[in-house]
Amino acid sequence: MNAAKSLGRAWLPPIAAAAIMFGGWELLLALIRPDGFVLPPPSSIVGAVAEKFDVIVTATGVTGFIIVTGLIAGVAVGAFAAVLVTAFRSANETLTPLAVAVNAVPIIALAPIFNAWFGILSPRSNQAVVVVLVFFPVFINTARGLGQVEPSQIELMESYGAGKWRIMREVRIPNAMPYFFTALKLGTSLAVIAAIVAEYFGGRQDALGNLITNSAGLTRYDEAWAAVLAGSLVGICLYAIAVVLERLVMPWYFAARRAA
Amino acid sequence: MKVRKKLIRTLAPLLALGLLAAACTGGDDADEPEFEPISEVSLQLQWFTQAQFAGYYAAQALGFYDDVGLSVEILEGGVDIVPASVLDSGAADFAVSWVPRGLVPREEGTNITNIAQVFQRSATLQVSFADAGINSVADLEGRTVGNWGFGNEFELLAGLRRSGLDPDSDIQLVQQNFDMLALIDREIDAAQAMIYNEYAQVLETINPDTGELYQPEDLHIIDWNDEGTAMLQDALWADADRLDDDPAYYDAAVRFVEASLRGWIHCRDNTEECVQIVLDNVPTLGQSHQTWQMNEISALIWPSPLGAGIMDPDLWAQTVDVATSEGILASEPDEGAYRTDIAEAAVANLRDAGIDVVGNDWERIPVVLLEGGE
Repeated sequence: MNAAKSLGRAWLPPIAAAAIMFGGWELLLALIRPDGFVLPPPSSIVGAVAEKFDVIVTATGVTGFIIVTGLIAGVAVGAFAAVLVTAFRSANETLTPLAVAVNAVPIIALAPIFNAWFGILSPRSNQAVVVVLVFFPVFINTARGLGQVEPSQIELMESYGAGKWRIMREVRIPNAMPYFFTALKLGTSLAVIAAIVAEYFGGRQDALGNLITNSAGLTRYDEAWAAVLAGSLVGICLYAIAVVLERLVMPWYFAARRAA
Repeated sequence: MKVRKKLIRTLAPLLALGLLAAACTGGDDADEPEFEPISEVSLQLQWFTQAQFAGYYAAQALGFYDDVGLSVEILEGGVDIVPASVLDSGAADFAVSWVPRGLVPREEGTNITNIAQVFQRSATLQVSFADAGINSVADLEGRTVGNWGFGNEFELLAGLRRSGLDPDSDIQLVQQNFDMLALIDREIDAAQAMIYNEYAQVLETINPDTGELYQPEDLHIIDWNDEGTAMLQDALWADADRLDDDPAYYDAAVRFVEASLRGWIHCRDNTEECVQIVLDNVPTLGQSHQTWQMNEISALIWPSPLGAGIMDPDLWAQTVDVATSEGILASEPDEGAYRTDIAEAAVANLRDAGIDVVGNDWERIPVVLLEGGE
């Protein structure tokens, strides 16, 4: 009962806010009746989802695969690089400036170039865009988390005779976890953006990016919005998974916060 | 009515010479125009300057527009320019647009109408290398098939369905850039191409196996005109409300169509001269490409059995049929989607002047494509 109550308290406000927003949107459009291309009402977007359900599911699958695989690879590479630069001074001196330089490149602009490298039909060209975009926030945040450790903790571990890797495993990595998950949550939305925009530059047409541009180009804005909706659902799901993972991986962190 | 139009036509050049007073000389004569003829109009093209629009450039360069008392500003198109929207916004008086791409905005409430169907055939092909063994639409099954999207793919989709293939599952559709690299690099099995542009671009590319340019026999084409899913392309569109309400605009439309068709007729009979006119307007690609294009554009227009610019009702019906069966249009367009009175008046004037408006005798001139279309 109590749990249901607290669950209700947690969920009611966002649900009410969404209901008010979408209801107001629908009502406002019914009142002022602008042209369909300005903004279709939520009902016609939902109608487009229903009508084109198969197409949208397929496209979400195709693009979702790029998003998820690219995100995993980008996070893995970013976290690994963060461990490297923390462990080795020489790695820090070479990798960090390089990562900053890579981040300064407008990464989406690389999509046509990756298309040429990997082939317009290869998922790798779009995955590469996702990886490069996700890499940087994960790398920078995780490296900071690994580095910002109380010197006293290190000294304590050293006094126990712990080596570099043991300190890494038992002090630095746990310390970096909140930083890492913040970056992961950022990465989920970046991955969705990267995958969809990369698809604007060509490739298979049964993907969300091409569905959006082609529908919009044909003034089928309700279908374009339906595809946008599918993309945001993927983003929301991934974000939710990241939040659940965070709780599973660092129960101590939330326990400590609840106690406080 | 007809007499009055004719009178206007003869009066117009005088007016254009700056005789403002002409408008005021009216009086008791009932045939006198009750409006001041328009002397300046603009035309929105749907793509970059190239021989696809040679007729309009020729009419401008050779003074055909001047002859009917019009000064025409030709507005170049581009990837992100929608001629129907430009026309609807009033930023242009007339526009060149493919029929489906005029009908879709019309269904959305943009009141434009097709006043002259210049191209009587579709120029869209699906091109593959001969060794890929794609001899028919059915052979596309299981292949990667490029297209440009944005409404350029409807003939392909309709053709696939008529051959019993499901575009969503039986083939892999690929978003193609406006070049043929994906085909030449063998990334896709069949590429969308306009016969007057991208198809020629392949033939302007060196075949690494021979060291020579690719030859037509290296390629297989699927021509949607033969498959029965062709949709009408370049037509002249005008603002439908303005045609109804403004007699001066209607009058200008007749004169504009007449002079434009004269430009196309001139290009039919003087291919090389028109290529030079296009080159003078600085297209992206060079002379051999534009000569090829001029040939193929003329092939889309001539012969025009009913007379240049006059809608063939069968091809209109086919276009509408494909558009509705593909869900491009929710329902068949209404009566006012095209009108032939303006083109018929223009063609009658040209016939009176002894000009051949059908072009049964037209033939391509020989053209040798050079690398890169130089």
